[in-house]
Amino acid sequence: MNDALRTVGQDDGEKVTGGTVSAKDVVMRYGNIMALDHLSMEIPTGIVGLLGPNGAGKSTFIKAVLGLVEPQGGTITVGGLDSRQNVLTIRDKVGYMPEHDCLVELMTGVELVSYFGMISGMSKNDSIPRSHEVLDFVGIGEERYRPISSYSTGMKQRVKLAQAIVHDPDLLFLDEPTNGMDPLGREEMLELIGRIAAGHKSILVSSHILQDMERVCEHVIIINNGRAVAQGSLKSLLGAQEGRMRLVARGIPEDLASFVKVLEREQRVISTSEEHGQVTVVLVLKGPSGELFAAAKNAGVQVRSLTSDLSTLEEVFIRSV
Amino acid sequence: MGLDPIRYKPWNGQRTEHAKRFLVITDHVFRQKLRSKWLLGIIILGSILVWVFPIIIFSLTPHDSLTTEVMLETLQNGLLFIFVLIAASLVCADLISEDLRGNSLVLYLYRALRPERYLLGKVLGALLVLSLFTFIPPIALGVAVMATQTGPDYLASMEVIGRTIIAAVLTTIFFVPVGVMLSSFTTKRTYAAVGIFMFFFTMTIVAGIFSESDINWQLLGPGNLLNYWYDIIFSEPLPQGLSLAGMALMTFVLIVPPVIVTYWRILSKGVGK
Repeated sequence: MNDALRTVGQDDGEKVTGGTVSAKDVVMRYGNIMALDHLSMEIPTGIVGLLGPNGAGKSTFIKAVLGLVEPQGGTITVGGLDSRQNVLTIRDKVGYMPEHDCLVELMTGVELVSYFGMISGMSKNDSIPRSHEVLDFVGIGEERYRPISSYSTGMKQRVKLAQAIVHDPDLLFLDEPTNGMDPLGREEMLELIGRIAAGHKSILVSSHILQDMERVCEHVIIINNGRAVAQGSLKSLLGAQEGRMRLVARGIPEDLASFVKVLEREQRVISTSEEHGQVTVVLVLKGPSGELFAAAKNAGVQVRSLTSDLSTLEEVFIRSV
Repeated sequence: MGLDPIRYKPWNGQRTEHAKRFLVITDHVFRQKLRSKWLLGIIILGSILVWVFPIIIFSLTPHDSLTTEVMLETLQNGLLFIFVLIAASLVCADLISEDLRGNSLVLYLYRALRPERYLLGKVLGALLVLSLFTFIPPIALGVAVMATQTGPDYLASMEVIGRTIIAAVLTTIFFVPVGVMLSSFTTKRTYAAVGIFMFFFTMTIVAGIFSESDINWQLLGPGNLLNYWYDIIFSEPLPQGLSLAGMALMTFVLIVPPVIVTYWRILSKGVGK
């Protein structure tokens, strides 16, 4: 269990048991639209990616966890606490960075962060130094004394992150954190997410930028039509097609052709491509890999590499939805 | 910009009670409003015209004690109604509309702050600001007149001050519920400000037109309604044929449904995006 979340409910003297966030059979309807359709998922610790096409139910799920909407069915627990019965206790330990613009434009960066720190339960004496600390952390310098209306999109994203972490939440929801940022800004935002996670936080990131997700996430949950269609560690999802290997071999064209024929006869070959005297074969091994090396030796070709054939997150996503 | 090599530091402080966090909003509204030059200008100008002159005149005029006539004359002065209405329009206009415009409502509501406490914080902040014009000056008038009285009956003066406090509380509260409600209907504070002013102004006009046929139509006018309440508070007789039930109903309509509607708007808008 997440050590950080062990403290959820400490204000009320409640002991937390169970996983980080757990949803069971959650049903949420908006009129005729089924936003969450018996959604069940377990969100482990670390950085977790929440993926899905537009309207898949990601934001609704986040709002349900925060208690902003009440599901018509099912249960959601955060650190073992029921999201309906312990709304305020849970919210004290949760930070949320919304996708859309949400900052009070007339306030300065430091005013906004300390103000929302106080609304999250910090005293004035705590919130002011803490807001400077988190603004330093997210990379907002002297700009913090300017009204937010004068900030660039990237700076607003950083302030949104700062207000989400000012009260030191154990669980952080980041909705499209790199939205509208330039490549350098995106890079820095991902770096920040990694640094926060290193402080034993649980971070749920929702994003459409799958390369970003692939870089930072340890676990991935894919939602479509209000259901979790795939979930697991990133490693297991990317290598989900058990036993798929990628073989690269070199040799003269005739030898390579005969080697591929042997492979097609003895193994399950999925695809073959040849380029500059080098053949790449994606296959599923039927027996030990030694047979493959023996066949290569007999055919007179050189095996340059034999590795697991991992999909990209994009491929997994497209397959899932 | 760039990032400094700073690692994330936890915060280990003590959290304040959930129930008291709305006071942060109240404090913020109060401070923010006092930065508004327009509002300060209205409060200062209104205070001079409505309160400072009577304080000087009634204090200098020889008097035995503070009487209800002094307070009624000042409270039922049309200038007070106009200045309170303008001040309430300026104070309430952006209370909710700014949070709707910037979508910042969600930043409040995802925190451990219930929608009703968010609303309470905003309303209390508005009331505190308005009280600078509607609560403190009438008490100051009463105290000033009592301090300069020549007669020995301070108890009677104190009684009038007590009634003044009740009247001042009513004046402060009277315009805020509708003001907050109209602020929750728009994302533009100008629309909200004009809407609040026009709402009460139109009601006054309508009351004036129909009161020819029946005196109870006067109750539609918020200024008239307030004046009749002042009569009741200071134990003055009401005009013949005026319905007390009608007064209570109209006051209820101006206070309770707007608060409920605002609460509903906050709930629906808070999760809308």
